[in-house]
Amino acid sequence: MPINITNPKNRDAVVATEGLLPKREFRYVDEKGDPVHTQKVLKSDVTHDLPELLKKRKKLDKLANDLVKGDPEVDMESVGLFLVDTSRVYVSKRGIIHLVEEYEVIMNPDGTERERRPRKKLPQNINAEIPVRWTGKFIKKDEAVQRFVFINKRQLVHVNGLTFDFLFEMAKDLDKRDSLLLLRGGEKGNEPIVLNRGGKQYNAFLEGRVKGDAYCLIMHLSNVELKKPKELDGGV
Amino acid sequence: MPRPLVLSLDGEEFSVGLFKVDRADLYGEVKIEAFDEKGNPASIRVLAADGNTLIDKGGTALEMVDKDGNSLERKQIHTVNLKGKELKPVESSFSHVNVLKQATVEEYLSLIVKSVYWIQPNEGESVDLLLEHLKTGRIYKFPFSYRDGIESDEAYMIGNGKDAFMVIGQCATLQFVKFNQNVQLDSTEEQEISADDIDFDLL
Repeated sequence: MPINITNPKNRDAVVATEGLLPKREFRYVDEKGDPVHTQKVLKSDVTHDLPELLKKRKKLDKLANDLVKGDPEVDMESVGLFLVDTSRVYVSKRGIIHLVEEYEVIMNPDGTERERRPRKKLPQNINAEIPVRWTGKFIKKDEAVQRFVFINKRQLVHVNGLTFDFLFEMAKDLDKRDSLLLLRGGEKGNEPIVLNRGGKQYNAFLEGRVKGDAYCLIMHLSNVELKKPKELDGGV
Repeated sequence: MPRPLVLSLDGEEFSVGLFKVDRADLYGEVKIEAFDEKGNPASIRVLAADGNTLIDKGGTALEMVDKDGNSLERKQIHTVNLKGKELKPVESSFSHVNVLKQATVEEYLSLIVKSVYWIQPNEGESVDLLLEHLKTGRIYKFPFSYRDGIESDEAYMIGNGKDAFMVIGQCATLQFVKFNQNVQLDSTEEQEISADDIDFDLL
């Protein structure tokens, strides 16, 4: 996923971001020592789900009896089907639909409804014409980890020689400061980061580490503070 | 009452309860409702590759299969390390005392977070020692496994100046990149993600 980003001198460049994977130090094998893998399979489709079964039988008792006597919930032709190349579709009582109206229902922490409005999908702003800004606003690492929970991370990687120098210098600067840099998107440089259209907004912080002639630049994403909910304030 | 987790810090043992903290508990959440052009409610289903089979939530399962595609039972599956040696299962962290070791902020920043818990002492116990240490900015870690399993996650104890939290996740593989290790820019079109919270309240 590319990102268009500026450095402290307001020079911008498009570089790559990569997702970070956890260290995996084990694997699964069968009795012969050959690798095994997980596969998503079909259990039941909508024509064999509870609402559909109940439609034919009208009463729950009758359905219960049928379930005891046989397997009306299992389609022997399709159960266990390996699921690959699936799609997500919207379905109403008219079947699969292509024209959908979406609304956002904003709920309070106590579960009550606060607002209802037509859904607005924010565009992604990390690879737009206007680059993600080096805001110059730093926060010490020790302070940042006590205030925010970084739930997502992406590593920035250069794509050619010029961008190596570009990113290496940024990493060196941040490593020296022992701080995270707040990144902002948008025309005014004051908007949270949106990675995908319609996706979540995040506060993004850039961390730099340097080891000899190698660097590591990580964009930490946060949309939650490190604090307890109000309902737990009175203790339990 | 949450299950008690026994921790040890500087030789002192104390039992705590874990209370999960979700974003929705702090800020609320955004739910998406969809309707067709006649105003009928619509919801997302999975469509199989045949273009016909619609699957609702709960209609799929994950199977372990061998290289020939045959389904395997749990007892036929072995867990080995990267050298092929069979691994011993890991015990649940609730079954023994967990010793806290000091961690660096860089280690904590390498964590791919799965969940966050607020820590409270169980009845008759105190977490004052832990809070005192955390208030100085120290971070502690220990291997955490909710139940007996193959591998444990990393749990980090961290404070916000007032309370103690346990942040659980797995450490990422961070690679320091040199000059000759550039990557190609991905040219695939941006993809829309499915209906999800897009609330970014109050930060």
